[in-house]
This record gives sequence, structure tokens and C-alpha cells, in this order.
Amino acid sequence: MAGLETLYEGLGFFYEPLFMRRAMVALFLLSLAVSGAGVLAVSRRLAFFPDAIGHSSLAGLALGLLVGLDPKVATLLFGLVLGLMIVFLAKRIKLSADVSLALVFSGAVALGLALVSRDPVASGGLARWFMGDVLTTSDQEIAAILALDLVAALVFLLFYNQLILSAVFPAGAYGRVFLDYLFGAFLAAVSILAVQAVGALLATALLVTPAATARALAVTGRAFFWLALTFSLVAGQLGLWISYQPGVNASAGATIVLTGLVFLILASLYRRYRDRPKKVNAN
Amino acid sequence: MSESPPAAVKFQEVGTTLGEYEVLRAVTALVPKGRQTVIIGPNGAGKSTLIHCLLGQIPYLGRVVFDPPKPKVGYVPQRPDFDRFLPLSAREFLALSLARRPIWLGLAKGARTKIKATLAKVAAEDLAGKPLGSLSGGETQRILLAAALLKEPDLLILDEPATGVDVYGERLLCELLEGFKDSFTVLMVSHDLATAKAHGDWVICLNRRVVAEGEPEAIFRPEILAATFGLHQGLLFNSAAKD
Repeated sequence: MAGLETLYEGLGFFYEPLFMRRAMVALFLLSLAVSGAGVLAVSRRLAFFPDAIGHSSLAGLALGLLVGLDPKVATLLFGLVLGLMIVFLAKRIKLSADVSLALVFSGAVALGLALVSRDPVASGGLARWFMGDVLTTSDQEIAAILALDLVAALVFLLFYNQLILSAVFPAGAYGRVFLDYLFGAFLAAVSILAVQAVGALLATALLVTPAATARALAVTGRAFFWLALTFSLVAGQLGLWISYQPGVNASAGATIVLTGLVFLILASLYRRYRDRPKKVNAN
Repeated sequence: MSESPPAAVKFQEVGTTLGEYEVLRAVTALVPKGRQTVIIGPNGAGKSTLIHCLLGQIPYLGRVVFDPPKPKVGYVPQRPDFDRFLPLSAREFLALSLARRPIWLGLAKGARTKIKATLAKVAAEDLAGKPLGSLSGGETQRILLAAALLKEPDLLILDEPATGVDVYGERLLCELLEGFKDSFTVLMVSHDLATAKAHGDWVICLNRRVVAEGEPEAIFRPEILAATFGLHQGLLFNSAAKD
């Protein structure tokens, strides 16, 4: 892939090692698909979804080994089936889960792993599973993420309005069962590819945290979308940069998660300040 | 009762249960085409449930027949629960079902103009830029009504349009309903007899089954209201029905 080589060369300004430049590109491309998917997931109260899919990919992996499928293909297929199944269950038994649950969960694990990752002996298989490793992203994975971006662009262009409508006002979008399953499959694909590239924990955090941050700040639906994308890009790149600093030297994934959470906390504080009860001058 | 008018909707032996509880029993009634029908009945009579059957939102026995067979339906529910924290302006909400262009790209000029005109119809132009979650009950209903009107419906369904509406909104609602006459079929649910009397030109009395249906003159009689709402209420209506 000659295009990528040129791109990496150009990014030499930011980082010396090639794996860091690759991570930059991977995170950038991932943010494009994942932030909008996160906005939709949060709007539709499916913040738990990527987590569920992410953690279940271990089972997909095992199944793949049993049947003799390529592990990446197996986890993707298994994730798609699970995604559709979650939609099915949500429609039958009114399952619901809170955004905060996903955030507290990912935040707690991230903090633990960030501490563990500083100790080279303690970090091992555990960290690799939860965090994946954005620093070992291959060109092949970057190509897969690029394909995901194209699918995401199609979904955002063609179905965004209807997906938001059925989230805000289900009575107005009744009978569009097809959309629910389409979204289930899309979100599953986003989650699985993100997990493969950067690990279960980072994938969830990239999906949910920027959307939650944007939700705290935005007033319009348009701002919601673009702010989520901005926070996703900034938290990804800034977190990567911080993790690389000699004084920090922590796991890139965990640092990115924590950077995103700092933005979320700041945004929530700002919102509290903005919405504080104000004295109105009586006239 | 004279010959039945041509129907936009026919309920044929519609029944449904909630667990063991029979909410509706063999409801057979019609909604005349191009006119304003009011379903009246006490709380728990199954009025909203009948609407949910019509919309296909819950499973039911019997049949609901439409003319035209697949009408464009505008539906304004009684108490919509919005996620109040979801960032979305009223204008964007209306664009969701109107425009193909995704809202994150902003609204096209045509959609913006059309939304503005429709909001003006429901006296809600000043709400366009407000977040959906910040609207009052009456304001929300006006936005939902605008959304229903944007669909250019064959059939407009209003579930308890007079509840949770301020006096200003109520007068507006009356004017709007007058304006809708002869443009499309309206089906309204109400436990408020004044609204039914003022706007209905066809009335269905429902109390888990159809007690009576017909022109208002035939319906607003003490014995029928008593049968619909219960005896004591019926005595009260005795004087109300005269004026």
C-alpha cells in the first residue's frame, strides 16, 4: 500500500517510531466511524452494546478455532449474530442499560490497567485482551477500518435521521423493524473492528465517551454529531501523545480512555455551571 | 340511526387483552371519511388502546380496515416521553421525518421553509430553535402536531389533545380543528365531553366495548352517557346535555 507509506513518511514529524505513526492513522480513521456510531448508540440507549459485543468476541474467537475459521472473520461473524440477537431481545423484553454504567465500568478497568501497565511484569495477557494494542495495528487492520469508514458514511448519510427519530420518538417511526436490525448489525461491525484494532475497553470508550461528552455540551443534533467526532479525534491523538511522553510511559489505550474521561468530566462540570439556577431581575 | 356514512377506518370485532384483563371486547365501529370523530369514555375505557390497535402497535383480535388501504397517518400521542437530555432542536426533530438529508449536514433551505410554515400553523414559530427537551407539555404537543401535519396525512389521530394544554393552546386547538374540516379525517380521543361536543361530528362511546356510536345529537343523551360513564355521572350529564 504505497499511499500509506507516503502518509507514514509525512507523519514522521510527530513521532519517530513507525508504530506510533500507524497508531495515529488507525485512531484517526477509527474516530470517523466510531464517533457517529456512538452518538446513535447513546441516543438509542445502547451504550452497553459495544461492551457486550467486545467482551463476547472471546467466545467468537474460540468458536472460530473450533470450526477452523480465521479468528478475525469468526469474531466479526459472531459479533454480527450477537448484535442482531441483542436487537431482537431488546424488542421483545424491554432491555435497557444506562450510559453511566458503561462509563463507570470502562473507567474503572482503564484506571486499573493503566496502573498495571506501568509494571512490565504484571501487564501481560490480561492487558492485551482488554486493551488490544493500538501500537501493534497492522496495515491490514487499517485497511479494514477504512472500509468500515465507508460503510459508516453510507449509514450516516442514508439512515441517520430515521435512526435518531426512532430513538427520540418511537411512535413516529413505528414499524421500521428493518432499521433496528440494520443498526444492530452496523454497531456490531463497528464494535468488533474497533475491538480488533484497539481492544475491548478502548473500543467502548471511543464509542461512548465522546458521545456522552458531546451530549453534555450540544444543544442541537448537528452539534451533537460534530462535537462527538471532535472529542473522539482529540482524545485519541492527545491520549496517544501523552502516553508516549517519557515521564508517563503508560499503555496507550488506557491513557486514551482516561483522556476521554477527563473531557467528559470537564464537559459535565461546564454544563452544571451553565444550567445553574440564575437570579432573574424582576422588572 | 340512519345509513352508515362512508368510512375511513372500520373496526371489526377488535379485541385485546392486557395479561388476563380484557381491555377491549369485540369493538365494531367506524370513523367516517373526511369528518371529525371523537372517541369518548371514562379513564381506563380502552380509548388509547384502540388507537394503538389501529396503529398496529399492539397485537389484537379482529380487523381494522382502512380506506385508502394504506393511509398516511399523522399521530399525536398523549404523553410522549422524549429523552430530555438528547440534544435536538424542535426544527431538527421535524426535519427527521421530512428530509432525506441527515441533520448533521444541516437543514436544506426547502425543508427549513416548509417547517417554518407548518410551525406558523400551530403558532409555534418561536419554538423552532429550542431544544426539544426544554419544551412544556403544551409546546411539545404543538410540535408533534406540526410533525403530523408535515406528513400531509389522510388520517390525523389526536390522543387527548386537550390534556396538559394551557388555555391559549386550547383555543388554538379549537381553531385548528375547525381549519382541518373537509381536508382530512380526524380521529380524536377525549374524556372531555366539551371538546367532543364542540368538534365531533361523529362520536364513539367506548367503555371496553362500544356503548353507542353516531351523530352527536343521537349520542349526547343522558341514558347513553350514563351507560358509558356510569350511572352517577349520567345524572350529572342530564343537565349538561340539555344546553
